Amino acid sequence: MNPQELLYAKTHEWVYLAEEGGTQVATVGISAFAVEALTDLVYLDLPEVGRTVTAGESFGEIESVKAVSDLYSPLTGEIVAVNEELREALEKLGEDPYDAGWIVKIKVSDQTGLDQLMDHAAYEKLCEEEQA
Amino acid sequence: MLDSPADGAWNMAVDEVLLATAAETGQLTLRLYEWSQPTLSLGYFQAYEDRQQHAASRKCAVVRRMTGGGAILHDREVTYSLGWSAQGQPGRRPDFAWLYDAVHDALRAELAGHDVILQPANGQVAGRDPRAFLCFQRLSPQDLVLDQAKIVGSAQRRRKSAVLQHGSLLLQTSSCAPELPGLRQLQSKVVDIRLLQQSWPARLAARLGLEMVPASLTDDELRQAGELMRIKYARPAWSRRR
Repeated sequence: MNPQELLYAKTHEWVYLAEEGGTQVATVGISAFAVEALTDLVYLDLPEVGRTVTAGESFGEIESVKAVSDLYSPLTGEIVAVNEELREALEKLGEDPYDAGWIVKIKVSDQTGLDQLMDHAAYEKLCEEEQA
Repeated sequence: MLDSPADGAWNMAVDEVLLATAAETGQLTLRLYEWSQPTLSLGYFQAYEDRQQHAASRKCAVVRRMTGGGAILHDREVTYSLGWSAQGQPGRRPDFAWLYDAVHDALRAELAGHDVILQPANGQVAGRDPRAFLCFQRLSPQDLVLDQAKIVGSAQRRRKSAVLQHGSLLLQTSSCAPELPGLRQLQSKVVDIRLLQQSWPARLAARLGLEMVPASLTDDELRQAGELMRIKYARPAWSRRR
């Protein structure tokens, strides 16, 4: 996926929205900036398919060298797919964060959280501010 | 905040409250505390069964932390926690990696005043097992070492714009982790824990450009900690969740 065409949360998750069978499905991952900031990743705790998630709430956890961080759902809905390959290949998050590094797919149930997401230009500005 | 010795469930519950307070109010809190009995704390993602491989600590009390890394045997050590928020702290990277250096630098400077010279582990990391059961047998660049032995280590839990960082300084070898030397073994040095607890916070405050004032938990924080201890940290289901 082209990072410039994605939406981003303040907590550094990216979102790709697509229509599938009349419903909106969001593919979610974490940005290259976030992966770099986390440094050496060692463990990823993923949710179960079928779990309901709420915009702004944690849907998983990731451990880098000695830090545990929450992953936040950018939107509200139901988890319909989980990238199981990541469990044994965490390096994909860093090597290919916008394609092979996708984490979950969410069937969006309402528009909660959508207005909080940024386009690529706004997200780049946020990253620049955080690096200042 | 200087706390009396307490059990593992209470200590971990209070640390989580400090993270919540930092996240909700932006208030920063440094807490120095002790343990009422030798206690093994497991890293958040460690398997409970892995403690069986460490015979010396099998009979010790156990609690699971909310931070990552390896297991720590809390006994003859100085323990600290820091609830930090990025709110109102412009110009500091929100990944909080810099907080390790800030805390450890202040501790190094303080110990140097006691003629204890620690160094960052930086170039000594290669060859160490990153998945060793005990945290003090692992090594990352920010850890502080003396004669190649890890003496100071810290871990973090990050939650949006806030972070909990806690860590330990090993003063002496514990009979529950005899393979780990402390300052006493490496340098025949007895560091006065009370003196350290008094003077290090001021040095850290200066390093962070802050003013620290003595504090204690509010009634609401005490209530939150009690609840967290009851529903989470004191429950075997939490310690054995992985």
